Amino acid sequence: MKKLILKSVLYAFLILITLEGLVRVFHLGKDTPTRFLDEHKVEKWKPNQNGFSVTGNRRQNFSEYHINTSGFNSYREFNPTKEKTEIALVGDSFIEGFHQNYYNSIGKKIEKSIPEIEVYEYGYAGYDFADQLHLTHAYKEQFLLIDHIILGIKFSNDLNRGEYDVVNSRLALESPMNKLLKKSKLLVYAKSIGILDPPQELVYRIISIIKSKPKKKPIDELEASRIKEANEKKYLANFENLISKYGYDKQRYTLLLDSRITSTFFLSYLEKNDFNYIDFASSFEASDRPTTLIYDRHWNNHGRELIAQLISKYINKKQLKSGQ
Amino acid sequence: MLFNSLDFFIFLPIVFVLYWFIFYKKLQIQNFFILTASYIFYGLWDWRFLFLILASTLVDFFVGKAIHSSDTNRMRKSWLWVSIIFNIGLLGFFKYYNFFIGSWVDFLSFFGYELKSTWTLQIILPVGISFYTFQTMSYSLDIYYKRLTPTKNFIAFATFVSFFPQLVAGPIERASNLLSQITTKRLFNYIQCTEGLKLILWGLFKKVVIADSIAPIVDDIFANYSDYPASTLILGVSLFSFQVYGDFSGYSDIAIGTAKLFGIELMSNFKFPTFSRNVAEYWQRWHVSLSTWFRHYVYIPLGGNRVGKLKSIRNIIIIFLVSGFWHGANWTFIIWGAIHALLYIPVFLMGRNRIYMNTVVAENKWFPSIKEIAQILLTFSLVTFSRVFFRSESISDAFGFLQQICSDFTYKNYQHPLGYRMIDYFILLGIFILYEFRIRRDERSPFKFKSRITRFLAYTLVILGMLLFFDDNIDRSFIYFQF
Repeated sequence: MKKLILKSVLYAFLILITLEGLVRVFHLGKDTPTRFLDEHKVEKWKPNQNGFSVTGNRRQNFSEYHINTSGFNSYREFNPTKEKTEIALVGDSFIEGFHQNYYNSIGKKIEKSIPEIEVYEYGYAGYDFADQLHLTHAYKEQFLLIDHIILGIKFSNDLNRGEYDVVNSRLALESPMNKLLKKSKLLVYAKSIGILDPPQELVYRIISIIKSKPKKKPIDELEASRIKEANEKKYLANFENLISKYGYDKQRYTLLLDSRITSTFFLSYLEKNDFNYIDFASSFEASDRPTTLIYDRHWNNHGRELIAQLISKYINKKQLKSGQ
Repeated sequence: MLFNSLDFFIFLPIVFVLYWFIFYKKLQIQNFFILTASYIFYGLWDWRFLFLILASTLVDFFVGKAIHSSDTNRMRKSWLWVSIIFNIGLLGFFKYYNFFIGSWVDFLSFFGYELKSTWTLQIILPVGISFYTFQTMSYSLDIYYKRLTPTKNFIAFATFVSFFPQLVAGPIERASNLLSQITTKRLFNYIQCTEGLKLILWGLFKKVVIADSIAPIVDDIFANYSDYPASTLILGVSLFSFQVYGDFSGYSDIAIGTAKLFGIELMSNFKFPTFSRNVAEYWQRWHVSLSTWFRHYVYIPLGGNRVGKLKSIRNIIIIFLVSGFWHGANWTFIIWGAIHALLYIPVFLMGRNRIYMNTVVAENKWFPSIKEIAQILLTFSLVTFSRVFFRSESISDAFGFLQQICSDFTYKNYQHPLGYRMIDYFILLGIFILYEFRIRRDERSPFKFKSRITRFLAYTLVILGMLLFFDDNIDRSFIYFQF
């Protein structure tokens, strides 16, 4: 028995080491850039990092990222001047674009379509509207030099708060323990494909048994619509609060949204109050090809192409190109 | 509790450690502990059905004694019928009741009598009922045929019926093999344990990498067969052949491996059926425990092949139809059985049903001959064709599937429903077939390499395969649990 236990432990250890090596050689596990909080309390990636983002097992999606000196995934540096025409895209992981090679991003596609302009992509996974406006406010001088700013917004996700505050749960991902765990590519890979979900669920199951919570009452239709209405009002109040606190230049700022998942209540508010927005719903709906990745809800190359086309058309219509 | 679940990976080491460190001293204690563990294992699914296992155990334990102590043949037969009626009754109620009612209603409506099917019931099929009822019946049958004397030890008998590694999907053991081991004190054997661990690893590979990774493709093709051309449908049913093999033989390997950890040797259930050279050989290699059960308890009592040609053919048809019906309460399984009977009869009539009994393909050679390759491909194609019925939800679906193959006989590239590269699966299956061919002589030693380094690399690659093909979002239950 002793021999069996010793040999099993030894084999398990050697197999794990070999698997760690194989996962590294075939680059199965994703690289995760380091986050940090700058002097303006803006959360972003540590500048000048390179790596590969991997989705799914067997590298279903494999793309390279490059974090520039401003702390965002982009092939170019952000140096706005009065002379050039610049467009800023601000948003969450959809703008950040880790699912596509950084040299084939939405910004790059827009620049290909309109070579006279520079596109700065301020995308960061998890950024909501508060994060976005805090960023534009904290780097006011830089953003004042940028000719036009496009803010990606998802009504039901991005307006949960009316004031910016540092999201500590995201920064906690940089804890020494997490950093140590991330060093094992095998662990990162196993986590990303869901192998570690059952043990995690087991822990949650045990915790929920220990801390027995009162059961949630089922919500009827009337109650659901009342909650929805209250939420819509709350989101709008948050929107108003954020723009009054951090400033919102209606001439230079445009929202990028999907009307299919945006409340009509909010859309009519935007129209009534002369907020510009680009709606990509009809363009995505008319597409004969999928616009999102199969295994992920993020935009695929075609989806990004459509977004870039819409933004380019909008810029042309606005006559934002230099000299116009 | 699934063999490929975290629950089992917690359960198994705990039971193993307790078994060999605490409850190893006396045979009675060993058996009582295994019995308790088995009831926990099953009870975690649905504790209510433990009463069915207990009832089946009690009936056959006492029926076995009664048969043995009966003086007359008439009494012996009567007691045997008690066991058969009870066990088949259990199966009939839980598995076939709704099928019979539905078929009766359909039959009447065929003659113009419209009847509302108000007699059908919402019955949950107890997991493993087809397996343990057959196992307990085999005990009474063996006593009846005087191949076995009944045990006086109820705990040992209950352990034989409910032994958790093979309780829910076999191999269907016979008392002469399993009960005799249970009534003998087990001693820890290092080699047996390592063999068990290797079989568990290989079984997991077959389940996680072969069966589970193919499942979404097969499900997609069978669910949407009317949208696909012949090339895709043929791909779907061919992949199903590998899926069902990986799933069930994977389960059997894990069961045999787990039993080894407790010092028990279960019978082999799969002997590389993919390399069968005719349908008769296929049935000597596929689900061996069920085939031998039917041979011993149905085919031979009916006269086997020692009666005239016509009666022998009748016997073959009976066992294949019964075998099909055993799989499920659906006409698709009966047709599947009938197809196999039709495939088997010509082989039987040509006297080629036993020619490959004790040989493997490419015996003493590195590669199979052209003739052998052709035979294997033909057998695989015929068996795969029958699986259209095995896999389809209904007869109309099965015929629709075949009709679609004939009506749209074109080729079109198939896209994986979850976006994976299809080439990965073809490479995987190619490697799998080559590897199985290499180990074809011994189904119980999947890692038989002299070099320790080669063995280590094989373990690592098998685990890497699991990491590469693991998919969190698919249903991981075993196909044969539904039977």
